[in-house]
Amino acid sequence: MKGLGLVLLAATALSGCHMPGRPAPGPEVPRPESVMSFAQLYGENCSGCHGADGRNGSAMELGNPVYLAIIDDAALRNIIANGEKGTLMPGFGNAAGGSLTDKQIDALVSGMRARWAKPNVLAGMTAPPWKASQPGDATHGAAVYTQACARCHGNTSQQPGAAGSILDGSFLALVNDQTIRTIVIAGRDDIGQPDWRNVLLGRALTDAEITDLTAWLIAQTPPHPGHPYPSTQPTAERPGEQQPLATHTQ
Amino acid sequence: MPWYRRTYDWLERRLQLEGPIKDAVLHPVPKSTASWWYVFGSASAVLLVLQVVTGILLALVYSPSASHAWNILQMLNHQVPLGWFLRAMHGWGSNFMVAIVVIHMAQVFLFGAYKFPRELTWIIGVFLLLLTLGMAFTGQVLRFDQDAYWGLAIGASILGRVPWIGGQLVHLMLGGPIINGATLTRFFALHVFILPGTLLVLTGLHVWMVVKLGINEWPMPGRLVRRETYIQEYNELAHKDGLPFFPGAAWKDAYFAAAILLAVALCAAYFGPYGPTGTPDPTIINTVPKPDPPFLWIYTVLSYLPPEMETPFLLIVPPLAIAVLLGLPFVAGVGEKSWWRRPVAVFSVMFLAVCWASFTHLATYTPWSPKMNAWSGAPIPTAFLERRTPLERQGANVFQEKQCRNCHSIGGSGGLRGPALDDVATRLTEDQLIRQVLLGGGNMPAYGSTLSPPETTALVRFLNTLHPNYQPAASDASRAVAGQGGVPSASTVERGNGQHKTQ
Ligand code: HEC
Ligand code: HEC
Ligand code: HEC
Repeated sequence: MKGLGLVLLAATALSGCHMPGRPAPGPEVPRPESVMSFAQLYGENCSGCHGADGRNGSAMELGNPVYLAIIDDAALRNIIANGEKGTLMPGFGNAAGGSLTDKQIDALVSGMRARWAKPNVLAGMTAPPWKASQPGDATHGAAVYTQACARCHGNTSQQPGAAGSILDGSFLALVNDQTIRTIVIAGRDDIGQPDWRNVLLGRALTDAEITDLTAWLIAQTPPHPGHPYPSTQPTAERPGEQQPLATHTQ
Repeated sequence: MPWYRRTYDWLERRLQLEGPIKDAVLHPVPKSTASWWYVFGSASAVLLVLQVVTGILLALVYSPSASHAWNILQMLNHQVPLGWFLRAMHGWGSNFMVAIVVIHMAQVFLFGAYKFPRELTWIIGVFLLLLTLGMAFTGQVLRFDQDAYWGLAIGASILGRVPWIGGQLVHLMLGGPIINGATLTRFFALHVFILPGTLLVLTGLHVWMVVKLGINEWPMPGRLVRRETYIQEYNELAHKDGLPFFPGAAWKDAYFAAAILLAVALCAAYFGPYGPTGTPDPTIINTVPKPDPPFLWIYTVLSYLPPEMETPFLLIVPPLAIAVLLGLPFVAGVGEKSWWRRPVAVFSVMFLAVCWASFTHLATYTPWSPKMNAWSGAPIPTAFLERRTPLERQGANVFQEKQCRNCHSIGGSGGLRGPALDDVATRLTEDQLIRQVLLGGGNMPAYGSTLSPPETTALVRFLNTLHPNYQPAASDASRAVAGQGGVPSASTVERGNGQHKTQ
């Protein structure tokens, strides 16, 4: 009798208290497409490039509230699913060969907003639209660069400013006009890039200025970017042998 | 006479078990065997009983159907009260049983207990070990999760390498050309009927022989085993300097068995049941299947063997090992028992133990396999991106996007297949970095055809920043000279702030 009592006691103790070994609800390893938690989706798919908390990553600061205020859900969804042509942003949607379903992409978008967006960050100002509405005029862009960017990024790629050159051929070949536009409008407060209101001392940049500047910057991409010794011919070329020309221009 | 006495007498007149049991329990054993070293055999038997009991309880609920097995384990984990604990006891019981059986075997080996007249006891013991491992493997399959699925796939591909009959063997094991419902039924039959049946019968024989032949005496250096005199010497020892097995030696067995059961229960309560991990769906490639603990070392060995060695190793080493174990009592059946005079034996055990421990440890973090989602999941530590130029930042993007991170760690996260790159710039100059990236080599793929020139430039610029602030990056003096000789310096050789690189 006493033994039975002990067993019962032990059993109730076991079922009652929280033992660390007790499996948490849900399967231990859910099917990949059934993961819906923002922290896990972002942590496994995005934090490698965009930073642990959407900040301080090598790619765009997704946790920037100004950024989230200027981009809409459809554009976000489209970039996440299909990637961004001309940059190193891969597509994550099933259709682009990635592993995320439409539902998971929605979860990412709403999670980014829930976690990082802040109300009224633009303080009543209307920001230039995230997407340029007309093609820019590169001839006007050079002046905007000298006015707005040169003090930090330097006048030429040979004389970079304190913030490093953005006229470098290889850099320009790895970004597209949208990257530059996004960075100029939203800024990156994690690495010290001011947003469109603070680039110029005194006033905000206009939509047209940004569009022209972007067009001019992209036009600075050299025809054969990234060759370590640009002035020398390919050294592997034997006499009479035609090397295929690098056709890499974005 | 009270009623129970009468019932007992009625049964005993017919069964006549009292005599033999009393004999077995009270038979004299040498005093020296009442030692804590002799508890592992009985503990193995107790664990076997635990496995049978928990196994029967699990079998009441389990169904060996490919479509249900996984869900039933989920139900046991989450809905049946203490179902998870039952699973955990059975799983941890299995680990403990393999461990205790192996320890028991090592002890028997070191104490020379396999020598005359206990050769057959040892041989049956070898089969008991194989059956225990067989139970562990088939049990893992019944979980029918990702680990089970890939465990089976690997088992099948090992069998498939047997010359000539490999195909038939795989068919026999899987019940068809692929892993399917029939595979699970087959392993269920093995795990609950065939293997445990054999295990119980052989255990019975094993224990019977231990009782009949007596427990091996504590080995003394110089007391040699001779076929002609051993039995007589042993009986003298047991009767002159002996004590009845019960309770003389048995209480230590009882305490140890209780402690082991408690340890199993604690592990079960603390670490919980094994899996089930993901559903056994081969289309889910984003998985890192791992075998259960007793087989982790095989996983390491197979990963480190060069491909051309795998088949010979798999087909030669296991049969050879079994042959060595079975042949042992015939080769070394008499002579010295004491470990003080058997250095080869002692060093073999130590060598195997160290190998086993290091292989198992390696298998817990698999440095040989790339971390498949490090490229998108492991952030580059902030310190490595602070005050970098925009180009170097893009280089970090290339590093992630080309999945270098899956093999190379930075700041302690990322794959371990290649060296950590935290301070690679102190080892390699810019040109050497370019060469390594474009041409690869030594288990690293060549990226020459997948990296565009700007990507290469950005990537190498980033790699070139990977050095501590107090230590400059390695540089090639001839570069500076060439630069003065008319070759313009590469476009961003002048650094942004924070880059204290001397040109
Ligand atoms: C391999 C690195 C990498 C990974 C992983 C990655 N990104 Fe990106 N992403 C980039 C790069 C590079 C850009 C282009 C902007 C830049 O250069 O900073 C970019 C751009 C973007 C943009 C557009 C920014 C703009 O211009 O408006 C969004 C939105 C974005 N990523 C979201 C995500 C999300 C969400 C994930 C996770 C599912 C993710 N990214 C994973 C590298 C990555
Ligand atoms: C107040 C100084 C300042 C001004 C003015 C400025 N930037 Fe920057 N910018 C920075 C800093 C600081 C960084 C971060 C540099 C680094 O560490 O990579 C940066 C980075 C960038 C980047 C790379 C961002 C990335 O994610 O790698 C781009 C593109 C850029 N700036 C464009 C511009 C453009 C275009 C202008 C002119 C409209 C401009 N910046 C004006 C300070 C400035
Ligand atoms: C499949 C795994 C794998 C991938 C992917 C990989 N590497 Fe490697 N890497 C290695 C191995 C292994 C070595 C060691 C080579 C040797 O032993 O010579 C290595 C060596 C290196 C080295 C030399 C390190 C040293 O200390 O000598 C550098 C630099 C390097 N890798 C950079 C990269 C870059 C950049 C990428 C992406 C473009 C990359 N690796 C992708 C496996 C990999």
